[in-house]
Amino acid sequence: MSPADFITLSSFPQAIAHIDCDAFFASCEQARDPSLKGRPVVTGKERGIVSCASYEAKARGVARAVRLGDVKKLCPDAVILPSDYELYSIYSCRLFEIMRRFTPEVEEYSIDEAFCDLTGLRRMYRTSYEEIALKIKQSIQKELDITVSVGLSLSKSLAKICSKQHKPDGFTVLPGDRLHIFLKNIALERVCGFGPNTVALLEKQGVKTVFDYIQRPREFAQKMLGKIGLELWHELRGVKVYPVKTEIKESYLSISKTKTFSPASGNREFVKAQLMRNLESAFIKLRRHGLSARCLCVFLKKNDFTSAGLEARINRHSASTLDFTRICVELFEQVFSDGLLYRASGVILSDILKEGNDHFDLFEDPVRVECLRKLSEAADKINDVYGKHTLHIASTEPLGCKRQHPRNNLTWRKTELLKGETFRKRLAIPLLKL
Amino acid sequence: MKKEILKQYAEKLHEHYLKSKRMPTYSEMLGIFGLRSKNAVYKRIAALVAQGFLEKDSSGRLLPVRLYNPVKILGAVAAGFPSPAEEENIDLMSLDDYLISNPQATYLLKVDGDSMIGAGIMPGDLVLVQKGRTPANGDIVVACVDNEWTLKFFEKHKGKTVLIAANKKYPPIEPKQELVIAGVVIANVRKYK
Repeated sequence: MSPADFITLSSFPQAIAHIDCDAFFASCEQARDPSLKGRPVVTGKERGIVSCASYEAKARGVARAVRLGDVKKLCPDAVILPSDYELYSIYSCRLFEIMRRFTPEVEEYSIDEAFCDLTGLRRMYRTSYEEIALKIKQSIQKELDITVSVGLSLSKSLAKICSKQHKPDGFTVLPGDRLHIFLKNIALERVCGFGPNTVALLEKQGVKTVFDYIQRPREFAQKMLGKIGLELWHELRGVKVYPVKTEIKESYLSISKTKTFSPASGNREFVKAQLMRNLESAFIKLRRHGLSARCLCVFLKKNDFTSAGLEARINRHSASTLDFTRICVELFEQVFSDGLLYRASGVILSDILKEGNDHFDLFEDPVRVECLRKLSEAADKINDVYGKHTLHIASTEPLGCKRQHPRNNLTWRKTELLKGETFRKRLAIPLLKL
Repeated sequence: MKKEILKQYAEKLHEHYLKSKRMPTYSEMLGIFGLRSKNAVYKRIAALVAQGFLEKDSSGRLLPVRLYNPVKILGAVAAGFPSPAEEENIDLMSLDDYLISNPQATYLLKVDGDSMIGAGIMPGDLVLVQKGRTPANGDIVVACVDNEWTLKFFEKHKGKTVLIAANKKYPPIEPKQELVIAGVVIANVRKYK
């Protein structure tokens, strides 16, 4: 190999690690209950499809989004659990906190993966980037009892390719002076940002691997894939373009509630009632978190799995269901067509703020707004005592007041309340199941 | 500005402080307080400083002084009488900080069985267990012996580990094959009401 093949001679001009948990939800369940270790564990019982399968289950052919009925056929001894998001969020917070012990620059990329910028830390820890990344990995495994796969390289794009290289429990280091060897065997699909269409386009140009791509001149990247293509070209050559973003997402971006009903229905009143029930549920959640929304999107899913939806904004933020009911009905009337069968309805609330920061419109009647707010508050109180949806808006009458979600898929933690805990409020420390 | 409202702002700052271990910047406070202008943030901060919730250091940065109302440690006080200890400026910690030293590695376990009754651990108690900590002699550990999880005293002499119960009913255990230690018990919580 001639020196001309080198992309950079520097091993780590900067160091970015990507840390990705292995089968996160299932691993959390196995960490809480060690009797599940080594057994095929599947989460998603409440949804009827697999949301996460442990590596033991994956080995038996169970994949994400497989129906639970099929899981039982593939793997009769699988342990099927309802998703316990409370547990997963606690583990997720702890995961990021452990990383922050090593570096303040941690980007929470999703619930179970993060980027860490380690640049410059060698001097402080008096050791190599590789050792620091390994130390993070070992701390997570020791303290959380779950395994992670780590990729360490020069940019976010490269680190992410590395962490996927060996899974589970992988540790892949790619210094700059090895780029030209490593990337020769990496297919284009492995790059985060290259979809099937991009890959097809590049292959037509004779680009088969990531190495081929970065060997082409930058003008090629710019011409074929525009700005993103050029950014990725730099990233893949070990030049950091995308920074590690450390701000924490504090607020909800949107709240959605969807409900599928079977059999599918063409009955206007029934579908409307289902939709309004979703609206009610979404607002109950909104108020529980002390938030208010301004934008409402309504959608109906047809029997052929296509869907139609419409969106509307009101003139201020509100947490009162009744501020949105009329608009919701209007949107529904425009989306619904007679003679079609519908299988699901849903609402999405967006443009969300903390409650109490709403500004009144010039022509608004503040007394009415305050009355609606108090009304919602009272309705929540009544429903807390007598059960959700006991007091409901009239258009949901066809559904009665029975619970929409029967609570038969309760997580273990919700059935194992400690003294002083309630159904809504529990200690933020995982309870081991030994 | 009303004290009640200021208290709410202080609580929000405290929440952020607990989460990120630092005071937020003015632009972050826009989001935290739900305000649109930094001038509005400035006014609220000035009020919080005036009321003694916050202080500014010599470079103008904010210091959290009294953002929340924790359980007060009053020092050793003769029961029944108000004490000058109350006025003493001492650092305060929450029960969480007191009980837990590594929050990321600490777990709860509900005690089942009477093997540690002699050490004051009753069935139904809630113990705090730290994972990934090497046990020392005399520590109470959560261990798995022959597929059974138990709480025992940990003793290791000349490379030989013995698990000892605090109850005469149970003889000491010398694990023959593999011994799994899930963690070390660092505190016991018993809630009566």
